[in-house]
Parts: sequence; C-alpha cells; structure tokens
Amino acid sequence: MAANYWASTQRRHWLFTKEILADIRESFRERDKAAHSQFPLPDQRLLNIYFSQQLIKLGKRMSTRQQALATAQVYIKRFYTKNEIRHTNPYLVVTTAFYLACKMEECPQHIRVVVAEARNFWPEFIAPDVSKLGECEFALISEMNSQLIVHHPYRTLSELQPELSLTSDEIALAWSVINDHYLTDLPLLYPPHVIAVMAIIVAVVFKPSQTSFHGTAAPLAGAMRDGGMNILAALGDKNGTGPPPRIQKLVGWLAESEVDIRAVIECTQELVSLYEIWENYSEKHCKELIGRMIKSKNLDK
Amino acid sequence: MAVSPLSSLSPSASDTAVKLTCAVNLQDNAHSPLITHSTGRELAEQLNDDVRHKYIKDKKLGEGTYAVVYLGHLRVDPSSLVAIKKIKVNAEYKDGLSMDAIREVKYLQELSHPNIIALHDVFSSKDQNLNLVLEYLPHGDLEMLIKDGNVHYGAADVKAWIGMLARGVWFCHENFILHRDIKPNNLLIAFDGEVKLADFGLARSFADPYLNMTHQVITRWYRPPELLYGARQYSGAVDIWSIGMVFAELLLRVPFVAGNSDLDQISKVCEAFGTPTEDNWPGVTRLPNYIPADKNHTVPIQGREFFLRQFPTAGPVGADLLMSMCMLDPRKRSTARQVLQHKWWFTEPKPTEKENLPRKSDGTQKMGNGLTRKGGEIDDYTFKYTARQLDFNAGE
Repeated sequence: MAANYWASTQRRHWLFTKEILADIRESFRERDKAAHSQFPLPDQRLLNIYFSQQLIKLGKRMSTRQQALATAQVYIKRFYTKNEIRHTNPYLVVTTAFYLACKMEECPQHIRVVVAEARNFWPEFIAPDVSKLGECEFALISEMNSQLIVHHPYRTLSELQPELSLTSDEIALAWSVINDHYLTDLPLLYPPHVIAVMAIIVAVVFKPSQTSFHGTAAPLAGAMRDGGMNILAALGDKNGTGPPPRIQKLVGWLAESEVDIRAVIECTQELVSLYEIWENYSEKHCKELIGRMIKSKNLDK
Repeated sequence: MAVSPLSSLSPSASDTAVKLTCAVNLQDNAHSPLITHSTGRELAEQLNDDVRHKYIKDKKLGEGTYAVVYLGHLRVDPSSLVAIKKIKVNAEYKDGLSMDAIREVKYLQELSHPNIIALHDVFSSKDQNLNLVLEYLPHGDLEMLIKDGNVHYGAADVKAWIGMLARGVWFCHENFILHRDIKPNNLLIAFDGEVKLADFGLARSFADPYLNMTHQVITRWYRPPELLYGARQYSGAVDIWSIGMVFAELLLRVPFVAGNSDLDQISKVCEAFGTPTEDNWPGVTRLPNYIPADKNHTVPIQGREFFLRQFPTAGPVGADLLMSMCMLDPRKRSTARQVLQHKWWFTEPKPTEKENLPRKSDGTQKMGNGLTRKGGEIDDYTFKYTARQLDFNAGE
C-alpha cells in the first residue's frame, strides 16, 4: 500500500457506479453487435473465475504473493472497462497484467520467465517473442492512465483483527472472501475498507465450521442463502431478535464505525450471487469459447 | 493523488491531473496485441492526442540512457514551461518497462506536495514512448549550489533548504513511501526557490512487516549504516540519514563521508560517527554484512561536542538536529515528523524566504541532466555497484 486511499487515483478515477459500468458494457455491445452475436462469452463473473484460475496457475509457478495476483485482477478489470474483450487476446492481457502487477508490488519477475511460464500453459496463445508482452504492458499502462497503485482490503483486514478479536479461522475465511471478491465487479464499485468489513461479517456470521471451501464455494453460498440474510437484516435493526453476542459485538462496532452499511450489504449480496453462479462454472466451456474467439479473429497474432 | 495538507503553491493544480489521459496508438502496428477498430480505442486515442497537443516540445535539455528530457510549453501559453521526460521505451522493450520508469510514474501520479516535483500529465507519442510532463524547475539543484564557489550562502539559507527537503520527505513517509535516493542532485530548485524532491526511480512503498527489501539503494555517500550492513528490513530512517548527509554537506560544502567503495564507506562512517556495537545499536552484529570492529581501534559514539565542533555554522541547536539524524541505530534516529518538530526551526536565524535564497540562473541544462540520470549515480563518478544492476531481482 502506498499513498492515501482517500486522495488516491483509485478513488478519484477508478470507482464506478453499477449503472456506469452497465452503460460501458452496453456501449461495447452496441458498437460491435456482430462480434457479440458471433462470439458469445459466458457471464463476466464466470470469465473472471477462469482468468483468476489462470493467474493463480501462473503465480504458483513463480510463488507470487497474493497481493500481486489481486492487483493483476484489478488491472484486467480496469483494462476491460476501456476495451472490448472481443478485440483482445485475453491470455496476453492476463499475462501482462501479471507481469506489471509483480513489478508494482515489488516482486518483479523477469519478462522472459513470465513469457516462458505463460507459454507452458497456453502455447497456442502466447508468442515466444517477449516484445509482445512489452508492447502490451505499454498499452495496459496507457489505458490505465498510468494510475497504477491499487489499494486492497487485505491490510484493513489485518488492522481490524485485534480490534474485533477475530480468530485465525475467521481471518482465513475473510481472506478467502476477499480473494473471491476479485471475481466480481466489487473492486470497481466499492472502497477496500467496505470490502474488508463485508468479508469480516461474512466470516463471523457464517462460521468457519461451514467452510471446507477451497475453490468451490457452494457450502458458503448455501449457508448464506439459508440463514444469512436474516442476520444481515439484524445488522440493520439493532433491537431485533437478538443475534448471538459475538455478532452483537460486531454490530455494535459497525454502528459506531461510520462504515457505509448499505454498501456493505450490497457487497454481501453481490458475493452471494457470485457463489450462486459459481455452481454453473465450467472451465472447459470458458476455455473453448475464448479459444474459438481468439483463433477465428486472429487475435493471437 | 495524495494532496498535501500544506497549501499547494505549486502550479501542479490537481485539475490538470484529473484530466490526465494517455493512450497508445497501436493502429499502425501490425504486431499490436489489440485489434484496434473499436471506437472506444479511438476515443482513448483522441484523449491522448488532446493531451499530447496540449504541449509543444522545444529544445532538448539532456539525454541519458533511460530518458531524454525536453523543454516544452503549453500550446495555449508559451510562457508556461514544462519539462517533458520521454522514457525510451523502445530501447528497453525487450525487458518491458524498467522498474525506474514504473516507480516514477506510480508514485508521482499519487503525490502532490509543494516540495515534490509535480507530474502534470502523461501521454504516449507515436513511436510508443511514454512521456512524462513534469514541472519545469529551471534553477538547477542543490549540488550545483554546493559546488559553485561563487554562490555564497549561510545558516539561514541552509535552514530553508533542509526545511523544504524535510517537508517533502515527511510527506512521502506519511504516504508510506520511501524515496531511497535522496542526495543534493536530486533536489531541484524551482523558479521561486522552492526545493523539490525529484527522481522517484528507486522509491517504493513500505514493505509489509517481515518482507525483505533490497539494501542496494541510495547513492553510497548518503547511504545509512544499516543498508551498508545489508539490512533487508528498514524504515523511513534510511531517508533521514540521507537528509542528515545533505545537511552536513550543505554546511561543509563537501560530502561529509565520501567512501570510494562500500567497505570504505562503512569505515568512514564508523570513523566519523563512532563504531557500532551491540551496546549502542542492539542487533547490529546480526545484520547480514556486519563487519566486526577492530578491537584495537574502536571509535566511541560521537556526542554533541563533535557535532558542534564539526558544524559550527549550524549553531548548537542545529548541531543537535543533525546529530539526531545521524544516529547509527535507525531506531534512535529522528523520524521525519520529529525533524519537523525540532526546536531548531524556532531558533534564530529564521529560514530565508524562498524568494531570497541564493540561486544560479543557468540551471536549465542541469535539469536535463538531473532527470536523465539513473538513480544511484553521481555525475562525475559512476558507481560500479549501484542499485540498478541488482535491482530487478531484489523485491522479495
């Protein structure tokens, strides 16, 4: 983390409303209807799941920090608010975002190593010539107006741990909730502290015991569907039916914190719907559609 | 952009920054990673062209391995001068953009403070170069003033310069950024005499606790003992040591501890300030490159008298401040905030008004040189083992 979020370019230039994001995407569709009907792609969130899994594969090989992966995911999102995905080679964008994010998060990888690793996974879509990545890096920086610092919720989470006496299980769960929020539009919609608070609520309210969840979030989605929304309702109504003391404490803290509770609830709902749609995720399907699009449009050249 | 709580006197007006746009012209490029007919792209290009056309490049001010600097001005107002730093992207294409360029853009985009060079705009030119439009600082740098025997200055002037430097560094630290290359020729002087911290090519955010950083930063003469001993975890105290060295150099008009190798630098630091031991610096012997002191030749830690004797122009209170910046143990060194709260600022003489500070007028060429230099270099003295060679693998 660097600089001050409240004065940051992230807050001033890269926070959108849902409506604006929808308009941007609609305008892409309007402009190139042919491409959209010829190359249908899965729901953006499913694509994001796919991209993030590719990123994780790439990152694992080079034992990259989670924070760099998170930054890369935000870069990809920002880039695709300016560019229609059907005009790009997503594998190149993913690799470049990874490469640039590693530099930004001070864990740089040599460009040749990154290209070699990427070619391991997607030999058809990544050219051996490293200058392609160099060019794409330049494009990425330009499209992001060279505003490169990304503020993440992870630090807020660690800062709040002592204050809310979160257990290590809760921290771990909140951490993976934060990881998951990068699969949605939330990083473009809400400030990092709101996300962190949402992740803490989810972790505390839905108990780590229900969470053998790595990769598949079905149990959590179920739990949230069944009982979760009631408790969320209780957050808005302090004198309600009286949730358990641990949650009461959190609610008390929230009430005094001046964190935008409505935003927190919206984030939670966004996450619930992510977990619901996750059940339809098929890696093979995403891979095929993207591959077909790249091949037939020669986007890999 | 982190906006300074201090009144923003710089012409860097954030409203120009808000419109900041750059985009890349890949249209003619057959190797483009992007296919380019969307009107979204055209719009982005249009915005980029708007920015590019806002400025006119005039003459070249200087050229280095990493960038070329031009004097430029606003198309609508020929009297509003800017420096345009064109980063040689193509030259470095093979390895992607250099960390220097990335860091410079990354941090200057977010920081806005009267004592930090302002980044007005970024745009890309047709040949795919990144152009940084920087505040034009025509009066050279502090190194020039120190070296120029015709320039005379006194304690009040030094106080003004160090004050401005300390405010700039404080602002960096307040925003969790380490500069890591503070030295007189990175301290540029504006038209109105304001000192501006430039060259963020080695800057980085504070690392998360327990994560390592490289110790190969800061030009040797300004490098603190913990880095000379290879510490991989350090704080803003490294920049404070550098301020102390600049302070000493301003007073003496020669670098205070000028080693000709890292080892020589360590021995000169020990000679000057005292030999680090477990007593005066707990933990020092466990630093990776610690060199045990020669038992027969240990220098005791220098006290006030030493600083008073060495730096009489600073006065007793000024000597105290300098001493607090030169503590061997980084934990005992003043923080930027403590430096700014020191009573020296409240004792006579008052710092010179910036308009009345001594200056040179032919600093133009110098800014060109100053901006093209790679971090860690001194003009006439290129270090063989500066940060840059090692930097790329150094993050973790």
